[in-house]
Parts: sequence; C-alpha cells; structure tokens
Amino acid sequence: MGQSPRPVIPAQTDPRRPKYRSMEQTSRLEKITAYTLLIVGSLIFLIPFYFVINASFKTEAQVNAGDFIRPPAKASEVHVGNYPRSLAPDKMDFWPALSNTVVITTLCVIGQVVSCSLVGFGFARFRFRGRGLLFMIMLSTMMLPAQVVMIPVFILFRTLGMIDTFWPLIIPMWLASPFYVFMFRQFFAQIPEELLEAARIDGASNWRVYWQLMLPLSTPVIAIVAIYTFLAAWNDFLGPLIYLNSPENRTLALALNAFRGEYGISDVHLLMAASVVTMLPCIVLFFAAQRYFVESVAMTGLKS
Amino acid sequence: MTIASAVRKLLALAALLIVVWAFFDVGRRVVVRWSSKHERPIQLTVVHWGEQAEDSIVDALVQRYQRENPHVQINRINPGATDFRSKLKTMLAAGTPPDVFYLPPDSFPELASLKLVHPLDDYIKKDIDAGGAKTKALYDDFFPIVMDAYRYDAATGKVGTGPLYGLPKGFTTAVMYVNLDLFQQAGVNVPYDGWTWDDFEVACRKIAALSQTPQYVGRRIYGASFDFWPDTLRQVLWSFGGDYFGPGGFRDVTLDEPGAQEAMEFIRRLRFVDKTVYNNTGVSTEGKQEFYTGNIGCIGPYGRWMTPRYASISNFRWDVVPVPYKRKQDRASLMFYTAWTMSAKTRHPDESFKLIKFLCAGPGAVDQSRLGLEIPPLKSIAFSPDFLEPPGIPRYHAKTFLDQIPSIRLQQLPRDAEFWTRLVDDKSKQALALNEVTTMQNAKDIEQLWLNELNSPLRKDEFKPMRWDLVVFTTIAVLAALVTLLWIRARREKLGPLDRATERTGYLFILPWLIGFIALSLGPMVVSLLLSFSKWSGMAPMGEALSVGGANYRELVARDPKFYQSLKVTICYVALAVPLAQITAIAVAMLMNVRVRGIAVYRTVFFIPSLIVASVVGAVMWRQMYNNEYGMVNALLRPLLHPFGTTPPDWLGRDARYWAIPAFVLMSVWGVGGAMILYLAGLKGIPVSLYEAATIDGAGRTRQFWNVTLPMLSPLIFYNVVMGIIGSFQVFVQAMVMTDGGPNDFTLFYVLQLYRQAFVFHNMGYASAMAWVLFLILLGLTVLVFRGSKNLVYYEGLKA
Repeated sequence: MGQSPRPVIPAQTDPRRPKYRSMEQTSRLEKITAYTLLIVGSLIFLIPFYFVINASFKTEAQVNAGDFIRPPAKASEVHVGNYPRSLAPDKMDFWPALSNTVVITTLCVIGQVVSCSLVGFGFARFRFRGRGLLFMIMLSTMMLPAQVVMIPVFILFRTLGMIDTFWPLIIPMWLASPFYVFMFRQFFAQIPEELLEAARIDGASNWRVYWQLMLPLSTPVIAIVAIYTFLAAWNDFLGPLIYLNSPENRTLALALNAFRGEYGISDVHLLMAASVVTMLPCIVLFFAAQRYFVESVAMTGLKS
Repeated sequence: MTIASAVRKLLALAALLIVVWAFFDVGRRVVVRWSSKHERPIQLTVVHWGEQAEDSIVDALVQRYQRENPHVQINRINPGATDFRSKLKTMLAAGTPPDVFYLPPDSFPELASLKLVHPLDDYIKKDIDAGGAKTKALYDDFFPIVMDAYRYDAATGKVGTGPLYGLPKGFTTAVMYVNLDLFQQAGVNVPYDGWTWDDFEVACRKIAALSQTPQYVGRRIYGASFDFWPDTLRQVLWSFGGDYFGPGGFRDVTLDEPGAQEAMEFIRRLRFVDKTVYNNTGVSTEGKQEFYTGNIGCIGPYGRWMTPRYASISNFRWDVVPVPYKRKQDRASLMFYTAWTMSAKTRHPDESFKLIKFLCAGPGAVDQSRLGLEIPPLKSIAFSPDFLEPPGIPRYHAKTFLDQIPSIRLQQLPRDAEFWTRLVDDKSKQALALNEVTTMQNAKDIEQLWLNELNSPLRKDEFKPMRWDLVVFTTIAVLAALVTLLWIRARREKLGPLDRATERTGYLFILPWLIGFIALSLGPMVVSLLLSFSKWSGMAPMGEALSVGGANYRELVARDPKFYQSLKVTICYVALAVPLAQITAIAVAMLMNVRVRGIAVYRTVFFIPSLIVASVVGAVMWRQMYNNEYGMVNALLRPLLHPFGTTPPDWLGRDARYWAIPAFVLMSVWGVGGAMILYLAGLKGIPVSLYEAATIDGAGRTRQFWNVTLPMLSPLIFYNVVMGIIGSFQVFVQAMVMTDGGPNDFTLFYVLQLYRQAFVFHNMGYASAMAWVLFLILLGLTVLVFRGSKNLVYYEGLKA
C-alpha cells in the first residue's frame, strides 16, 4: 500500500462552535466498546514490534533455534550488548551511515517543500494556456511504475557523472513530486483571491506573495510534505542501492542490508537491534508531530 | 505541559545538532576523498559480496594494497550477496563496469560469451615469464580442478576447457552435517568414510524412532533434512546416477530417466511416506533453524560455509560426513566456487591483474581460510592447520571436505543458467516439497517449460541492431514539429500584455516540475518504450540492442506462462488486499474518532507499521512471524484452533497454494496506517450538523453511517482505492524477501517477475515490455474506477 499523503475533504473553518462529532454524542457503552477494540487492535498491531524488540535482546543461539516468542525470564537474559555490537564499525558501521542519511534526508525535505510549493502555487494561482492539460499529465504520472523509468534515469545520471554521489537521490526531490504538488495546489486554491489582490495592490511581486504570504499560510501542508518526505528518504532502499557505491557513502537502509549475507541472515539478533535503532527516529518524529499532523491533513483539504 | 514542551524543545535541539554534525562529517569525507583522488592517478573499482567478516578481510587487503602501491586508488563496493547481480548489471548496463569483481559461476558463461570478462591466460604467462620458477610454483599451487572450473569454451558452451576467465579465491565441496548425539543415541555409526543411500534410509528410520523414547518426549525427531536448490538437488541426482542434462546437450533434459527419477522418488518417499525426513517447505527458514534445535539427525548437502555458523551450537556435538551415494560408481561431488575476474573493458588491465593475484594468492589467503567459509584455492594452505583447524570453530573432520576433491565433477550449465536454475528451483518443489504431482509428471513439466523457453522466437539470432540514430533523429524532428506547432498556435491567440506576463510567471513557477517531468518521466518513458521493442541484455551497452518489433509483446501474450501466473497472483492479491485494507482503515479511524484518551498513542501505534511494511526489515520480520513451527502467527492461532480439532496453515510452505496470498494480504492490512490517518482526518471534517439533522430525521447509528459518513468519505475512499490498486500492483520487496516467488510460483508477483526478467535473466527489453503492460493495466483500471464511481462518489459543492 502506498503511504503517501492523500488529499482530504476540506474542513469548514469556523473555530467558534464545535462543528464535528464530539464526546457528548457518544454514549458510555460506545466508549467502552471503542476502548476495548482500540486496545485489542493496538496489541495486534504491536505484535511484530514485540517480536523484533524481543529478538533484539536474544543471543545468536536462541534466535537460531527459533526462540523468538518467549520473553526473557530474568534480567540476565536481556542482552543489551547486542545494541552497541550491531552498530560497531565491523557490523553496521552506524555513524557514517547516519550522517549520510541525515544529509540526504535534510536536503530532500528542503527541496521537496520548496519545489512543490512553487509548482503548486503556479498551478493554483496563474492562468496559462495548457494548465489543465499539464495538471492532468502530472496527476497521471503518479501511476507510472518506477520500474518503467529506472534504467533510463540511471543512464541519465551516469551521463551527468553523478554515480556514487548523493545528487541522484536529492535532485529529483528538488524537481517536485506530483503528490505534494497536488496537496499544495489544493491548499493554495482555497485561499481567497482578495488576500492576494490586497498584497498585489500593496506592490508585492509574485515572488513576495509566494514567499511572505502563501508559504507562511501553508504550514500545515509543509508539515505533511516534510514528514512524508523525511520518512520516504530515511527508509529508501532501492535508490541508494542503485546509485551509491562506496562503503563510506552508505545510508542506513543499505547498512542494514549488510546483515543479509550470502547464506541468509547471519546475525538475526543484531539485525533486529540495528532495525530498532534505525526505526527509532521515525517513531519519535511521528509521535512528536502526530497531533499536528492529523490536524494538518484535515485542514489541507482536497477535492478530486 | 511544560515538561512536554521542554522535551519537544530538547528534541528539536538534538535534531539540529545532529544535522549540523552530519553536514560537517560528510563534508570532511568529501574533502578527504577529493584530495586522495588527486594523489593517485590509477583508479580501480572492485565489486564483491560477503558478510561482515569477509568484508573486513577484503577491506584490509585493499588498504594494504593501496599502501604498497601509492599510485593506485581502489574504490571497493560490497552490495551484499543478494543484490550483487543487480548491482553488477546496472554498472555493466551503464557502461561503467568495475575493473575487478567476483565472478558468480552461473553467470560466467553468459559474461564470457558476451565478452565482458577478460581471459587471464596471457597475463599469467607474462607473470611467469617475468617471475620465473617461484611464480610458476605459485600458479601450480592452485587446485587444478578449480582452475578448470573457470575455463569456458564459447564454441562448445562447455566449462572445463578453453580460456581461463577468473582466478579462484576459494571453493568448497558438498557434505552432510550430522548431529553426533542423535547418531549415538540411535546407535548409528557416523559414516566418516562414506555411506550409501540405503544406509542413509536406515539411519533416518532409527533416528526418527527416537521421538518415541522417553528422553525426547514432546519433541519430533527427524532423521534428516534436505536443503535443495538446483545445485544441491543436482548433487543428489548425481549420487543416484542421474543428471539434469544428457549427452545430447542442454536440450536433452534427463529428469525423466531412471537415475533422476529414482532420486526424486527417494526424496519424495522419505519426506511424505516414511516421514523420517523433515520437509522444509521450500521457503527456507533463515538460519536453518531445524538443525539448531537438535531435532535433526543430519542436514545438507551444504558446503563449508555452514561451519562458522554451527560453531555457536552448544546443545549438541556435530561433524561433517560425505554425501551418500547409490552405487559406488555414482560417487560425485559438487563444487561451489567463486573467483576474481576482470572486466574486458578495464583501462588498467595490468594493474587489475596484479590486484587479482594479490587478492587470491596474496597475504589474505590464509585469513580467508581462517574464516572457515570455504577451502582456500592454494593446496599449500588447504593442507595446513590454518584450514584443518581454524580458530574459534570446534574440532571437526575438516579433512572430509578435502577428501571429496578427487570426486569433484564440474557442473555444466546452459548459457541461460539463471533461467534454468529458477525453473528447477520453483517447479521441482511441486513434487518434492508439496507432493502435488508425481515425480514423472514433474520431470515432464520442467522439460516442457524449458523447451518452451528455448524455442522462443526471441532466441533466434536474426534480429538487426536498433537504429538509435534513426530514433534520435525522429524524436528530435517530432519534438521540433510539436514546439513549432504550439508556438504558432500560441502566436495566433491574441493575449493582452498582462495575461502574457501572468502566463510567463505561471510557467516560471511550474518550471521545476516541467524539468523533472521531461528529464525523469517523459524522456525515460520514451526510452523504455523503445526498449520494449528491442532485445537487450542490459549488460552490453545500449547501442548493441537488437530490434525485434513486437516480438516481446507477442511472447508475453502468447507464450509466457509465467506472465499469466504472475498476473493471476497479483490480481488475487489486489482483489483481496485493497477492500480489506480500506475496511480496516475506516473501522480503526471511526474507533479513534470517538474521543478517547491517549489518542496520540493509538495514532502512532496504528501508523508506524505503514512505514516498514514494504521495507526489508518488515519483510524479514513477517517471514519469521509466518514460520510454521516457530512463528508468532501460528503460535497464537494454534490454541484458538485447537478446540475445533484443526491446526493453523503452513502459510508460506505446504499450504501456500491457498494461504500464501492471504498471508501477504494480512501483512498489507497491518501496514494500512497511511490510509487510516487520512480517513481519520476525513471523519473529523464531516460537519456535525449533518449528524444532527440525521438524528432529527430519526436515523439511527447504522443509517447515519450508511447515509452520512460513507457518502461524505466517498471521495477519500475513491482516492484511497485508486492509490491502493496502484500500490498493490507494485508489491515487490515483501515478495522478494519473504518467499522469492515460491513455492511453485504461488507468490510470483508481477513486479517480482519483471525484476527477474530485467536483472536475473538479462532481458531488459522484455522487462520494459512488461513494465509497459503494467502501466497500461493500471491506466485501464483507473479509468474503470473513475467511470464506475461516478454515481457512487459524492462531491460536496460540486459545480455542474
């Protein structure tokens, strides 16, 4: 399933009276049922994580004998040492991979926000011939399977001499992805024309309207685009696999892959520990931002 | 609240610090690399595979070589064993072949006949001429049989004679690993000097009978476990006097002849009739758990690479013995081997050869042998304590590996070895692991599929090269005509200066996307469309592609059973996964929309899986979860199903025909968080006034759901369904890691088959055709959904 942001029904923005279903409407019985189902559902959804975390504290022998399910009986059975061992230079070589991933991710997020908001603004607020057609073309490229263009794009970047650099991973992000352009366009299209007119009458150029009016208004969309881009860039595997060569350029996803050896996975327990560390920033980020995030999705608004 | 905001600020600060540090760290490395590039004029790229232990040995060797040769800069790439081929092939396809690389035995005939690897004979001769007797002694120290394995005669298509294409870095013979404790308790002598399959059968029966003894109460003991892939299966066929191919060459499949049939029937009988041999169901369990548990008498055929792994076993004693044979004259050992080779296109052949020699026979050879993964290629090291008693591994009969060397038989494989091995790997499971057809029927099926492939019109050598010059010319002409046409039309329409300025600004704003579209979507699409009418290996430069017209598409529709199988698998999956995922997402979103406490936690819990469901980690995790014996899924289901007298299915194994797709569907439902968050947001956007009105009209909760909630969510559902279809059609990582398409192609997803055509079977043109068919299917489905949903989707404020 794609995890990209999806456009959403617009929320009417009148903050003064409660407009949505609220607590008063739900009976006690319903609440209890909801709680029960949510807790049971959460537990089911958490099982795989339990599996990973539990395995990350086991010994190699335990993991090899299929001992994944049983929780450790006493403190001495919790092998915390798996964590430093899995991150060490002779295993995952965590720190260079981390700095590479952070640099790529940062540049991707900035690029995606800047380029998508620019293009979204262009599509939403300027009349030009071919606009409708180009917009439709843009949306239809979302259906393009990555496999169709993989080899030619690779050859293109090779011609530009960018193999084994971060550029092939970053540049596409500065050239606007349809998904996020779509979100920005829908958001910008909702902003009343009078606001723009007022700014223009005050002598603001198009650039200033974009930079000082539109962009600050669109923080909810920026938040979604930034988070989704962060997650996608952080977890990307195929891109780094194709474009990066030297061990020192490895990203975290590639470094994790180093556990998959010739004859299967050698250190499952260490792989699990390394996976937990790699996943952690994503979980922390989402947890810290999730409230803002859901509200943003609701506010972004979109109609097909 | 203050604590929360303090934590948030602290997190933000930490994030900022990490970003600053990361840029500094990367910048420092760029500077270092840039300066070293200028000091060392000769750049060599080395590609290999290997786990961390092997990786660090190669790394140390490379560092040492650079120290000794200050003018050489080596760029070492280790994409890992599983991704080695795709990495090597992308590099070859891009015209940037590595100078020195590992040569996998199965792709070596293909690489040699495409003239992508360089014969080494001249360099060895030159080296001996320069170095004299001492150098000659070094080359004579190589096991001759391993050298022969890297000779290939393009004219006959046979391995063993002809030019030498690689210098071996190591090899291993095949053995069986035995659990000494079980052998002892069952009263079976450990057959260090060899045994027959009849001995083997008796031993299995005795060991399996231990299950009934009080010592093993509650445990199921098996006499043996086979781990088959085409190489090891062939080893067993040989030991019964059979083989894959007869004297008539690679069209002469002999699986239906007595020797091979006897072997297959033997395996089938022990697994399904006697049940003394564990049936590992084809989706091999990571780490070969069965043996570790101490419930398996012996396992194999394996090479030496298992010894470092089994070194960690502490609950029983183990050793290695030869693979059994039917009759004495059938004794034959398989050899697994790897060599270093050099690209035919390297700019520094002499330097490359020097490096190869250093890597194979230099100071690293002893370290390599201490790793315990393989037999060193040099006799002097193989017969030294470094090999026979490697440190860190309990003492065992390492000499058994060497004892098999005289009976090594070289494996002859067709040029399209990868197609053949895939075919045997997938199809043989139908008889040997799933017991669905007789071994004779199975042999006939394999032969027929193989001949079908060999008789493909695409294999004929009658195609002319692609006229790329013509293509480029036509493209430029069409583009020029289009631009002129647009320009003329644009000129005709009269626009005011203000409109004109707006238009210019508008185009300026969308410029980033326009550039991206042309360079990263449109251009590559055109190229791949052209490729879909060509035959191109993806390893030679694109200029050597042959023009085949519509042959790829004809092959796809008319002759390729795998195409239909992959389509069937994918459609079944999409039809189940998309509705189920949407229903789950809506249900969970509605639950969360009831204002409950701790919503932040629930949102995170339900969302996070969507981040890893399509990643390698997620797939590895779920694969363990579905393991029949040790997996979490069946551990939970077993007590639930027990009262009904049934047991849970072996999802990805024996019951894969019906349960593998549901297993993937279940996994996709787990990763539905993205859609769920959107539904939650959508639910929050439904005005409460609508519900109030509905309540006044007397609508109950159920009617409110059908008449208010669902219609208001319908645009979102529509959108999610479309994106869900597109996403589900492209399932790849899960299929690749969890089952690799097996068993018997029950999980051969479309994109996995596409990937194989592109990167495993070297049919880049065919793969492009598959990609385009997928694109057209998706386009058609989307249009269909658009049409079908017209009356079902409610758009608020839709202006007619």
